[in-house]
Amino acid sequence: MEQLFSGYMIYSLSFLLIFIALATILHLQFSIGGIVNFGIVGFWGLGMYAFALLNLKLNIPFVPAVLLASALTGIVSMALGRIILNLDDQAVLVGTLAFATIIEYLATTEKWLTNGVMGFGTIKFPFDLGANTLFVYFLVVLVFLILLMFYVSKIKTSPYGRLLLSIKDNEILSQSLGKPTFRHKIIFFTVTCSLIGFFGAMTAPLYNYIFPRMIGPGITFTIWIALMLGGRKKLLGGFIGILATIGLFDYVIETVVPIPTQYAEMVPNVKFALYGLTLMLVLMFRPLGILGDKKREVKG
Amino acid sequence: MTVSTFLSSTLVLGLLEAAPLVLAAVGFTLIFCLNGFINVAYSENITLGAYFAVIFNSILGWNFYLSIIPAALLSGVISVLTYLLLFRPAFKRGVGKTELIILSVGLSYFIRYGSKLLFGNDLYNFNFSSTSYLSFFGIGITTVQLACIGLVVIISLGIYLFIYKTNYGERMRALADNEELAMISGIDPIKVSILIWFIAGTAGGLAGLFYGAFSFVSSSLGWNLILIIIMVTIVGGIGSVRGALIASACVGIITSAVTLLSKPLYGEIVLLIIFIGILKLRKVRV
Repeated sequence: MEQLFSGYMIYSLSFLLIFIALATILHLQFSIGGIVNFGIVGFWGLGMYAFALLNLKLNIPFVPAVLLASALTGIVSMALGRIILNLDDQAVLVGTLAFATIIEYLATTEKWLTNGVMGFGTIKFPFDLGANTLFVYFLVVLVFLILLMFYVSKIKTSPYGRLLLSIKDNEILSQSLGKPTFRHKIIFFTVTCSLIGFFGAMTAPLYNYIFPRMIGPGITFTIWIALMLGGRKKLLGGFIGILATIGLFDYVIETVVPIPTQYAEMVPNVKFALYGLTLMLVLMFRPLGILGDKKREVKG
Repeated sequence: MTVSTFLSSTLVLGLLEAAPLVLAAVGFTLIFCLNGFINVAYSENITLGAYFAVIFNSILGWNFYLSIIPAALLSGVISVLTYLLLFRPAFKRGVGKTELIILSVGLSYFIRYGSKLLFGNDLYNFNFSSTSYLSFFGIGITTVQLACIGLVVIISLGIYLFIYKTNYGERMRALADNEELAMISGIDPIKVSILIWFIAGTAGGLAGLFYGAFSFVSSSLGWNLILIIIMVTIVGGIGSVRGALIASACVGIITSAVTLLSKPLYGEIVLLIIFIGILKLRKVRV
């Protein structure tokens, strides 16, 4: 029993939970707030790096370091939001993508702080329960994920959620009804991005050792693909999508299916090519994903 | 380093850097201008152009300059195929602009990792029959680089004249400006769209090929450039080919100036920050 709880499986499942959380936050930003965030990995990486630096270089304990890292991600995202959130979708998309690239490059160039491409560590878990440490940490992440899901399920029907939906559907109309739409968008973006930063900080102990290649754009696109596949309009869309992409490939296929060693290095290429193919098929034939309705919405 | 050598080396290195970028930016702008979405899969067009040249030059043993022609034509054909098989059906289905970008990300992943299955993780170099070094304002450049820059200048001038001075170019611009009006005037939208996607693909393929000639060819060649290309297109004025030409020259010079003054990658960081600022200043709105 103890073997199972401390083994590779539980480690993999913890990562799966983190990615489900990111996909759920993306669902919140894209489908409720209408923000096309192509820089998820930037906020996630910022939270992760900020936490690791605070924890290791300044010896700040775990909990305050996580909170400070989330707050820092929030502040940075607020500054970015002020610049780009009142622009059109394509500008938001490239702006966030550029932001994520800046974070990745800074993690590489600032050797005095992050040790450059070599990375730094070792980031420890906040508690030491012997063989059960990883399993308890997994439960902690699970609790936060459930809290997040609960919050997202409530927000859709709340007055605030309706306000966000109205901004997304017709910003000029809600402006004319006296809503300060730009301010609401900035606050919403700040809160959701600091949540991404929070989950980034929570990822750091799982990785143990962090380096810039971890925060490349691949993660952003994988999460987007997962959400589009699962169903971007549904609460469980991110959950289903992550299970069908990362869950299926990284865990089920790589651990269960016996792949001959000479083909082993082909697996990631096949995986990403199939991700791309799946994404195209979903957008063409089932635009709202597995959980969504079959028909495309009629545009007014 | 004195001021004059600094200026001359940024200028030479910057223009060297910018030369293929000009081609890529012009091709990208053409599609952006016609269909109004950011085609991320254009990056794979660039990579495939370089790979096609690798097939003809390194594998079949053709002369480098000779292998440019089939490689460019094939990348044009690939571009037209992506238009006919994926993007045109998507327009017909009413896929939204943001979704189109995500769709192109999917295509980009599919082509990039699909071609990785064929070409592996290896880095390829071109075989040049003869290379010698020349000194240019104190900067050493190879004859190959000089020839490539010459070709880039000729080709971009050709595309520029084609777009702004010929009858076909006028039709293309008409279609990009107002599709319905263009159709009423008797312009066949499919024919002209195919032509635009072909020229864009050719330009992208050539850009990839020249980048490959300056360093090496890998599967992430185009992907590493696409953000800069998007920046150049938006900064240069959305849909303006002239703007893209000027912006890519500036990008090359700024990157090499900052890189010479500090460390590599700082040039890119500075560019990205300037870019976010310009996004705000231009107030890009649909």
